[in-house]
Amino acid sequence: MGLNSWNTYEKESPGVMEKPLACWEGRDYYKDEVLPSLTIILKTGGCRHNRCRMCSYRFERYKEQTPDKLASLIISQLDWVLEHHNLEKIRMVKIYTSGSFFDPDEVPQGVVNTTARIFKGKLVVAETRPEFVESGRIGEFMAMIDTGEWDTPLTVAMGLETTSDFIREKCIDKGFSWQDFLSAARETHTSGAGVKAYLLHKPLFLTEHEALTDMEQSIRTVSGIADMISLNPCTVQRHTELESYWKSGEYRPPYLWSVLSLLISAPVFVTCDPVGGGRSRGPHNCGTCDRDIVDAIRDFSLSNDRGLLIDVFEKGCRCRAEWEYILSGEQPYCMPLSG
Amino acid sequence: MTGYEVIRRDGLARLSVLATPHGPLHLPAAVDTRDLFPDLANRELSNVPLTAPEDFARQYHLRGKGQPVTIHPAIEPDASSGDCIIVPGWHTALSNPRGYVEWLVRLKEAVPPDTAWYAPGTALPSNAHILCYSGFDLFDYTAVDLKTAQGRFCLPEGDFPGKVMDEGICSCPGCRESDLLQHNRFALERELALIRQFIALHQVREFVESRSRMTAEHVAIIRHLDSRNRFMEERIPVVRDARLGAMSGDALFRPEVRRFAARVLDRYLPPPGDVAVLLPCSARKPYSLSQSHRRFAGAVAGRAVELIVTSPLGLVPREIERIYPAAHYDIPVTGYWDREELSITASALAGFLSRHPCRRIIAHLDGGALQAAAMAADICEKEFECTGGDRPASDGALKRLSEALEGERVVRHDIVRGTLSYQFGVDVDTRGMAVRWKNLDLLVRKGKNPLFSLDPGTGLLRPTFEGWKLIPEGYRVIIDDFPVRGDILAPGVISADPRILEGDEVLVEGPQALATGRAAMPAFEMEASSRGIAVRVRKVLKE
Repeated sequence: MGLNSWNTYEKESPGVMEKPLACWEGRDYYKDEVLPSLTIILKTGGCRHNRCRMCSYRFERYKEQTPDKLASLIISQLDWVLEHHNLEKIRMVKIYTSGSFFDPDEVPQGVVNTTARIFKGKLVVAETRPEFVESGRIGEFMAMIDTGEWDTPLTVAMGLETTSDFIREKCIDKGFSWQDFLSAARETHTSGAGVKAYLLHKPLFLTEHEALTDMEQSIRTVSGIADMISLNPCTVQRHTELESYWKSGEYRPPYLWSVLSLLISAPVFVTCDPVGGGRSRGPHNCGTCDRDIVDAIRDFSLSNDRGLLIDVFEKGCRCRAEWEYILSGEQPYCMPLSG
Repeated sequence: MTGYEVIRRDGLARLSVLATPHGPLHLPAAVDTRDLFPDLANRELSNVPLTAPEDFARQYHLRGKGQPVTIHPAIEPDASSGDCIIVPGWHTALSNPRGYVEWLVRLKEAVPPDTAWYAPGTALPSNAHILCYSGFDLFDYTAVDLKTAQGRFCLPEGDFPGKVMDEGICSCPGCRESDLLQHNRFALERELALIRQFIALHQVREFVESRSRMTAEHVAIIRHLDSRNRFMEERIPVVRDARLGAMSGDALFRPEVRRFAARVLDRYLPPPGDVAVLLPCSARKPYSLSQSHRRFAGAVAGRAVELIVTSPLGLVPREIERIYPAAHYDIPVTGYWDREELSITASALAGFLSRHPCRRIIAHLDGGALQAAAMAADICEKEFECTGGDRPASDGALKRLSEALEGERVVRHDIVRGTLSYQFGVDVDTRGMAVRWKNLDLLVRKGKNPLFSLDPGTGLLRPTFEGWKLIPEGYRVIIDDFPVRGDILAPGVISADPRILEGDEVLVEGPQALATGRAAMPAFEMEASSRGIAVRVRKVLKE
């Protein structure tokens, strides 16, 4: 009782600014150029699907708010961004929510319009589930941000995760199909925006080898459809189904060796930000070689220079033999073999 | 369908044979299971972790079209006699002893007993003992080969950096050639060969207790299993012809030890007499053969019910001192009794004396046994007379004991009635029976008819057909309509008294036959198995 009323007071008191869940400046590689970028993760009404096994954003949401109230809470976060970041030098803005930026229930239309106004002239990447991609709304939003500076000022990012419907269903519980993604990509392109696909490397219930093969196939299949591909090595986030399997030794994030070999052999440029790289909850090797490999992957993502990857791969480490054994020895009925 | 037959059991562990296209495979063993089971190649994307909830397991469980048959703790297994069972992800259970035992018990109870159990990607020289003790039979080289890839040198005591190979610890062919892969595989095979020997000797528990001291999880698994009373009771033989090493506190909770104490309390019928004398144990078993007990016998002169106070069994009545494990246990004697031993012994003693009240109780004891007796006296609110002094076997103490019994009537210790009550839970009228000892053998007759003989290895009585007439019910194995020639095989059994354990004397009854013999498997296995010897027949009644 007491806590609730305190919370309400906190939220409703005027002058208290909402903060995004996360917001940071970085650099992104785009068409042979490194752009200063801003990444924003907004707290919203929450993902409508809200079932993915590895997702910890499930609890990050404003509960039971009226659309107007919700809009003002999110706009308050955008105000915070304006107050804390100098947008002039930023050229690319990446907007994530705990779900879909283009879900009107999650992010009211007013917020979308405000966002467009704030980031007008920037190269915008906004993430959504495919069921909320509708060429009219996408085109409208793009028209609002377009100043003619960019050929494709908007890129719609979707967490496709894998091109395998079986794996997306069993290992992620994502709730949409490859066909759903294809339709959304078509809609996006019709509106003139670009498509970015996120692939999830090694969700639950896959051997190291199955996960590697899944990503190889996914990259190959999606490369003709998505304009940008980003490989996300899976990390273990708190209070997720994934975490409980990880704690009982039934899940291991991918080896950095696998990530390296995927990026090296990919038929197209695939970016990768190995979040949590080198930690037991993120993609990792033995602990000795991790840092150099994570650095090489980050540098590669800003340069498309595969030589950087090949160097660390060929430099090797004692743990490479372990990884090679895992690729052949780990089976669906005895996995994960290592920690 | 392959063929699988258990040859010898020791608790959950067993020696067995799996029929394969390449010939019989003697288990426990490690093999390249991907060669043995081509169907394993067809199980892509089939992972379902052991902790997965039921709805997920139901949706994604893949039984497999061929062998081995996959099972999962959350769902009803679909396996038949003779199958090879695979429990995916069993290696992850080893770090979770509570889950390990929970799943093991659930799965073992749900799957026919005559199935081979394969633990994939799990076996190392350092954990093979606990896997076999838990009833796994088949292993692969995956875990040791991974250690090789990691540069680790494997021993039963754990794994070490690869360079330890040069320290002269092992001289196997792999070590001679500095071939780590060969050594690690060899170390696993050697350990499994050793385990097979200990199963054959009925000493697997002793072996596992010694091995497990290196790993907390292994000790925890043993303890959690020991706490599964009903599950373990059915699977531990009633008697063994082997030593029981009670080398650590864990032995107090061995199912064999607890069963003995429970039967002394619930089944055993002591001789009529209202004076009890509590005596210390001896290193030599049965106690009567020891120097000290010969002296005690002289002093008591039959004038009291003799009860031996001992750890870990608590209380051994003289009449049943030959029954396993009373005549078989071995314990380090230091004179120190820990609190657990004292409390278990005291409550066994107090329980017995409450059930069979005596007018006088003479504690001819010293040290921890005396302390336990004092605790028991408190529990049952009785006065014990103490005659033992510092050295119960000394002349002075014996004199005190003899004087204390002055004028008491002689008690007739009756090994036949006592043993039959412990063994079958019956009260047999032994009047008119003649008991004749011949060295360690004992023969019981009535008139010209032999009724029972004692098995000197286990201490149980072997009834003849005449003897069985005195045991009106129970311990019967009902077989189908066939004449008995040789041992009874499991598929021929229609039903068996659920109290029958491996090692029990049984009477085989069928439309065409009556036979005596010894159970080679517990009742539930006789009823559920389609292979293996159920009863080793001693004698068939000729019409």
